[in-house]
Amino acid sequence: MDNLNPKCGRILVVVEKEDQGVNSFTLELLGIGRKVATDINGIVCGAVLGHGISEVTKGILPFAEEVYSIDHPLLEDFKVELYASALEQLCQKVVPDTVLMGCTLNNLDLAPRLACKMKVSLITDCVCLAIEPETGCLLCTKPTYGAKVVSIFKLDKKPYIVTLRRKTAEPLRQGSILGEVIHFTPVLNGTSQIELIEKVREESVRLDKAEAIVAGGRGIKDTEGLEKLKELISALKKYFKSVDLGASRPLIDSHLVPSSRQIGLTGEKVAPELYIAVGISGSLQHLTGVLGAKKIIAINNSPKAHIFKVADYGVIGDYEDIVPALEKKLKEI
Amino acid sequence: MNSLQIIVCVKQVPDPEGPVDAFQVDPNKKKVIPIGIPPLINPFDENALEAALRIKDCYGAKVIVISMGEKLAQPVLKKALAAGADDLILLMDPCFKDIDSWSTAYVLSRAIKKMEKYDLILTGRQASDWDFGVTGLFIAEMLQIPAINLARKVEIKDGNVWVEKLCDDGYEIVKAPMPVLITVSNELGELRYTSVRSLQSANKRLVTIYRANDIDLDFQNLTTRKIHNLFLFNDKRQCKFIEGESLQEKGEKLALAMKTDGII
Repeated sequence: MDNLNPKCGRILVVVEKEDQGVNSFTLELLGIGRKVATDINGIVCGAVLGHGISEVTKGILPFAEEVYSIDHPLLEDFKVELYASALEQLCQKVVPDTVLMGCTLNNLDLAPRLACKMKVSLITDCVCLAIEPETGCLLCTKPTYGAKVVSIFKLDKKPYIVTLRRKTAEPLRQGSILGEVIHFTPVLNGTSQIELIEKVREESVRLDKAEAIVAGGRGIKDTEGLEKLKELISALKKYFKSVDLGASRPLIDSHLVPSSRQIGLTGEKVAPELYIAVGISGSLQHLTGVLGAKKIIAINNSPKAHIFKVADYGVIGDYEDIVPALEKKLKEI
Repeated sequence: MNSLQIIVCVKQVPDPEGPVDAFQVDPNKKKVIPIGIPPLINPFDENALEAALRIKDCYGAKVIVISMGEKLAQPVLKKALAAGADDLILLMDPCFKDIDSWSTAYVLSRAIKKMEKYDLILTGRQASDWDFGVTGLFIAEMLQIPAINLARKVEIKDGNVWVEKLCDDGYEIVKAPMPVLITVSNELGELRYTSVRSLQSANKRLVTIYRANDIDLDFQNLTTRKIHNLFLFNDKRQCKFIEGESLQEKGEKLALAMKTDGII
């Protein structure tokens, strides 16, 4: 730990854990980290925080030169104050050039605290990173103004801290690096003023894993409407391995659909093979979540709906008649 | 018990639901130029104000709304008074022009420090212009008070704050003593309706205006947002409209087109 080569630029990737394994989001982050590291002739480091994390740590070794294992009983569950303190101590020790984190709800809580402790700025929800050759500054591309404007921000004070949007890079498949595990033990104070009373797990939704998504919006008025979408989903299962239900904000705010299914600025960002938007007008705050979709089909009764401007196929009319006919035909052919 | 004092931080932004072509960029000045759309209170900050007003309704509280900017439109921000806020403080100074999130949080935290008492600070989860989502948490770090991110419900019980906060696989119910900062998400609900009459009478009310010199700022701490480049997003696809005599026929034809074009 004390003989780290200080001259070597380090890109520190904060690892997302999943069922003891390395998840695909982490592999995307490691891929982006590798590109940035190559530009600065540096190395990729992983940071794994938690308790009982040796499997995850091992899983990162093929992709990173150094893997920092921060295994501590107090880090068993995500507690933002403790995670921020552990990462701050790691950053002081390792002095990374850049810290990359996934743009998850937990990290939206963690990253700003880390940045403030390190007295630097950060850019959240980036889709692309590049080193400015002349200056070595980090250029961070990010959709802004509800995805109407794409902005490239410059970070000039290290560590550059960014959170990255899911599905903006291909996950690494194979790694050939034989990384080194470095154990790091932070000094943690377990007392927090914020007391967890109860954790309520809602249905586990993995919209990012769906090959096809059928999403409903303001046009869907009730559970009967939702049923029609669900029937379309089951018809599509003939063609896609995984098909799931998504929603734009009006259905979340009216509690017809839980917020874990929200797609858009404040929800998931998805990039499926097929996205069918039903009764969604196409506000930019929704569209920012589906920009990566390969094909977009829009069904809406207003010919003026903005969704048609970003769709590959459009059907104008009432979904209540169109969707059942589509579903029936999909089953037949 | 002393009455609760709640501070709500709000930002003035161009209407995020404005039409797409209302947003232009000036690549030389590296600025976004909204054309023909009015400014309003950032919708997520309205969620935060609604959270504050619900607490005021249930337990009684003084709600102080605070906003910062180079130039602020009073009639826009006075909507907060019309909705039920007790005071409006505007931090206006030319030196606040284009400052970054860190500096914004710094200015707001200096102004909040000047207040004799605060129990709760509420902010929206992010602003609908730059969509960073960091200012609230920065303010908490600077004031060295605990923070709870992404609340969908905020209540007061036995002198503590109880919050339902969003997390990656559901939500958590947490409790904290005050003072505490909470960022509020849209799930909490929209700001209550404000009538024309209440807007008119709010318009006549006085607001407190502070300049940079009034709030003990170290001007070296003010840094501007570093924008390298800006461009309009363009993902226009060629939309192929499916025609048909009836809606049923359109639905069937869509299925066939999906098959022919190799989507399924």
